Amino acid sequence: MATVEKIRQVQLVGRKIRQLRKEHKLTQMELSARLGIQQSDLSRMEQGEYRVSLDTLFRILAEFKMSIGEFFEDVARESLTPRDIGLVREFQALTEEAQREVQDFIAFKRSQGESQDRPDEPD
Amino acid sequence: MVDDSGSIRVFEDLRERGRQAVESGRLEEALALYQQSAEVAEAIGDPKLQDLALCNVAAAAISLGRGDGEVPRLREILLRNESIANCCLAAYNIARYYELTKDFKKSLFYARIARDRSEVLGRIDWIASSYNQIGNALLAESLIEEACRHYEKALAMYAEPSIRRALMLDNLGYCRVLQSRFSDGYSLIYQSLAMLRRVGPRRYQLSPRLDLCFAHLETGRYEKARNHGRVALAIAEAAGDSDATKNALYLLGETANLLGDSFGARRYFSRLQQGFFPDQPYLPSFLLAIDVRKLINLKA
Repeated sequence: MATVEKIRQVQLVGRKIRQLRKEHKLTQMELSARLGIQQSDLSRMEQGEYRVSLDTLFRILAEFKMSIGEFFEDVARESLTPRDIGLVREFQALTEEAQREVQDFIAFKRSQGESQDRPDEPD
Repeated sequence: MVDDSGSIRVFEDLRERGRQAVESGRLEEALALYQQSAEVAEAIGDPKLQDLALCNVAAAAISLGRGDGEVPRLREILLRNESIANCCLAAYNIARYYELTKDFKKSLFYARIARDRSEVLGRIDWIASSYNQIGNALLAESLIEEACRHYEKALAMYAEPSIRRALMLDNLGYCRVLQSRFSDGYSLIYQSLAMLRRVGPRRYQLSPRLDLCFAHLETGRYEKARNHGRVALAIAEAAGDSDATKNALYLLGETANLLGDSFGARRYFSRLQQGFFPDQPYLPSFLLAIDVRKLINLKA
């Protein structure tokens, strides 16, 4: 799983938490009590409207530890667009050297992005 | 009650030295000075001075993470309602306590009391601090728009370059980053950092450094993110601030991962897991696979 593409779709994660909660036959009230948060906050989290501390996020993961593998496999699969999947497949089909060249090109493009619109800062 | 102007001068001098120690980040020293001022207040025998001293002691103790015993006494001052100023300080300190113990709904409740009392007093600096405190509780509850409105009010009232204003700037800046208003966010957080460099000890740079790490991460400036994250981690560890250390380790791991340094990322995530979540060995692999930036609130 370490090479899985990065995922940023908070609503998807919220839906996944709700799905896991239901699979574990827990009400929002029960799960929120276990997590030490309010039911309304869990509800907002499931809807992707509530950001939490690392402590709370990891408590949620601990609650569903038997499903961690499934948790991120599903989320990863659902969050990739067909274009993303196509790009990954094309990348994987390249030779190792060609893959390195692509990575260098991405690093170059990223550095161009960084040099534009850079705010002034003390260091 | 002894009418002793000399003792009152000693009392005020101890409070002033305590305030300066707080401004310099020397919280242990501040606590000791405030405790001495409480003894002087008791000797003077003026209940209002005693309550004032107790509020000061509580403020320092709460900031040091030792506020558990202070809240009942602060609540008593609030309920006695003998002095608006002391009620305001008591409510504000209780709000701070609940903020640090992550009970944000209670924090919001008491911060609103502090605001109401400070408005009766008409003390602009206290009103501004109360608005900032309300903003903190709202931000922790992910009520970003509302938090912004309160930070804006606080900043409009309190223009003096100071640690207090710098932290308000940083809070609003972080909200702007969460709202993807990156230019505003950068401007505010860099103003905060520049001000803290002028007026405060290094430990107060912790919050803007973390927020700059996050902002640069969000805008794809990973080298910058790494620089600020490293400084934040060093400050957090030196200060023994476990929440900030966790956030810094997480952000540095995320930064390394996005820089393509999966070894470095795993190292940071492993430090996070081993240091703070030893029962969850799967966390490094999880964080390498899943980007949780959109789930995380650094101020919650």
